[in-house]
Amino acid sequence: MMQRRRFLEATTMAGALAALARPSLAAESAAKKAVEAAKQYAGTEISIVWEAGLQALDPLNFSGPLWEKETGIKVKVVEVPTSEMFTKILQEHRAGTGAYDALNVIPAWMPDLVRAGALEQLDEYVDKYGYRDELQDIAPVYRDNQMTVDGKIYGLPDDGDVFIMYYRTDVLGDPKIQEAFKAKHGYDLPVPPKTWKEFDEVGALITEVTGGKPYGAAFIRDPAQGQFMFQERFRNEGGIFFDAETMKAQVNSPAGVKVFSDWVAENKWMPPGIENFGFVENLAAFLQGDTAMTLSWPPYGRWAAGYGTDEAALNWVPKSTVAGKVGYAVSPGGHPELASGFALSISASSANKDAAYLFIQWLNSRDISIQRVQLPFALRDPFREGHFTSEEYKSRWPEAPQYLAALQEAANTGILDLSILQTDRYEEAIRQGISRLWSGEDPQAILDDVAAQWDATTERVGVDKQKAAYADWASKPNAYPPKA
Amino acid sequence: MTQQNVHRHDRRFGYAMIAPAVAIILFIGLFPLIWTLLVSVQNISLIDEDTSFQGLLNYQRLMSDTRFWEALGHTLLFTAVALPLELILGLALALLFLEELPGRPVFVALLVLPTVISPIVAGAAWRLLFDNRFGPINQVISWVAGEPVTILWLNDPNFVYAAILIAEVWQWTPFMFLLLFASLTNVDPSLGEAARIDGAGFWRTLWSITLPVIRPVIVIALLIRGLDLFRIFDVIWALTKGGPGTRTETISIYAYVQGFQQFETSYTAAMAFVIIVILTILVMAALKRVEIAR
Repeated sequence: MMQRRRFLEATTMAGALAALARPSLAAESAAKKAVEAAKQYAGTEISIVWEAGLQALDPLNFSGPLWEKETGIKVKVVEVPTSEMFTKILQEHRAGTGAYDALNVIPAWMPDLVRAGALEQLDEYVDKYGYRDELQDIAPVYRDNQMTVDGKIYGLPDDGDVFIMYYRTDVLGDPKIQEAFKAKHGYDLPVPPKTWKEFDEVGALITEVTGGKPYGAAFIRDPAQGQFMFQERFRNEGGIFFDAETMKAQVNSPAGVKVFSDWVAENKWMPPGIENFGFVENLAAFLQGDTAMTLSWPPYGRWAAGYGTDEAALNWVPKSTVAGKVGYAVSPGGHPELASGFALSISASSANKDAAYLFIQWLNSRDISIQRVQLPFALRDPFREGHFTSEEYKSRWPEAPQYLAALQEAANTGILDLSILQTDRYEEAIRQGISRLWSGEDPQAILDDVAAQWDATTERVGVDKQKAAYADWASKPNAYPPKA
Repeated sequence: MTQQNVHRHDRRFGYAMIAPAVAIILFIGLFPLIWTLLVSVQNISLIDEDTSFQGLLNYQRLMSDTRFWEALGHTLLFTAVALPLELILGLALALLFLEELPGRPVFVALLVLPTVISPIVAGAAWRLLFDNRFGPINQVISWVAGEPVTILWLNDPNFVYAAILIAEVWQWTPFMFLLLFASLTNVDPSLGEAARIDGAGFWRTLWSITLPVIRPVIVIALLIRGLDLFRIFDVIWALTKGGPGTRTETISIYAYVQGFQQFETSYTAAMAFVIIVILTILVMAALKRVEIAR
């Protein structure tokens, strides 16, 4: 295990150093420019807020030490649980302590953080340190949607979070299941299912034929993460969050009720207790071969293939029993959620803005980011065009080319998390709605309440202010699936 | 110096001596209260720059906030069920351990163990126990039922209150036991013996002799636990986060959500002030009862 880890560290370190040292590229690369400019700050320390847990192993074990070696600037990693990051960043900003220099920010928070004055505008730094060209390599869906507020840069998109579908090729390709499917539904079993109707028919039939060994599918039903799934499916069913003129919530429209009703129906052929499945439970079920299909974030695909799971940091991940039997595809409906993600920003109250900016430019750069997205333990997912096509990445496991192709396709067609003023209040209403759904309440009644809560929040924020924020968000190319 | 002047001088000296202590108490006790009141009449939130004076708007909003009243109802329900349960079980255990039982010190030490565990840890442990897939509780029920049973303890409205109450009562009954046990050991045994000589049975002796003697301790124990239950947060947060929906949301959870997730600082201050008023009334009423009892 240690040998593999040392090998990985050595190759990533060597790759990064080699990339920096290449003379032709070195003169132009944003990483090199950042390192050269940062040397004047040698001996100082910068802090960066990072999601606690696996995510933070990137700056702790890889990028932080490498940056210090290159520039002499020490990096202090402030680990904060995701649920507290927004609060901590705002509280620190209000207190004006300057305790945080660089930040990891979920893009959906950006309008609120910008409005609170907590984020430094980055356009000037991007130009000053010559990063604009390399920004163009970031996949358009992240670059055009998760970088700016009102046309100004406040974050460097740094994590290609997107839901994709994982399915068992051996189960869906089983002739017995295929025959049973055709006999029941009158058409060939689609591999993979492309619509939710197909998905539900395939999943239900697998459970029926196998008696639950494996179950047709499982999902993350926990409200905290399930709300991303709701946002995705609601829009794939044609749902619109608000009436753009009146800002009245439309979440209780037939599209919303259909999603909730379908979820309840699906639970019947999913594993018992599916209502409590979170990220880990769903992952364990898939990796142990208990389920034939699922939707989730990109690390599922890597761990299902067994990539890096012998790392000590990943010893909590169940050993994959499905390596080599997993297919990857865009979610049914064709427009997966770009759920969460992270952008790198600078705190407006930082006393080390230039040094902090140079660090995030370096992290985000073409040369360094390709190394970071291949760290098996750090959860950063491909977000640059070059990541999807990297030959090095494609060679990591046999099915990696298909995995990267699925991620790229998902990134091209993905849809954004809702991001308006005080977004969390709207998300909280959905979370509560999902929680009530699992307690057996009527979908229409729940969604009527959710819509009422949304309207009340809009009133409190101010209809006109929110209307402008929604118009800004809805005008982004990936806010809604393109109209057919 | 006349007698009157000496008396006046002594009084002044007395006031001067206690003045620092009074000032500190006022600062510690009243300053947060006044500050909360001031914040509650403004429009402070972490997100908005506008902090203008709002008057009683937050209180008006609170009065029509059904979620607040529901949370208050849930809190009172938890208190009304858990408090008597803890009292009865604690008293029963205290009476049991009054007898000289073999290994009594060991059992008492084991019994007290839940109380020293952090409530959030206790909640997390019970969450594992109630887990519908891997939790032992469902497994034991399945063995008894002879078929797989999947009770969604923390999702199903029919079970979620029971689950929370089991965890809460498990953790805090020992506290009640400790107070009552200490109090019972101080009851003069001759009182019970005299009653028994007069023909009183166990229940009669308990009702007419023991309980009246330890009544002040019972009231204090109920007061302490009642206040704790009114502020109940950790165990519910660990188990359900107030769900499903807001069905188990208590006043403390709602205040936390408003203050630290929705960043409604002023609104939360108004809520806190109303809670303080309610608690003050309850505590004063309880203390009055103690006074009467004495």
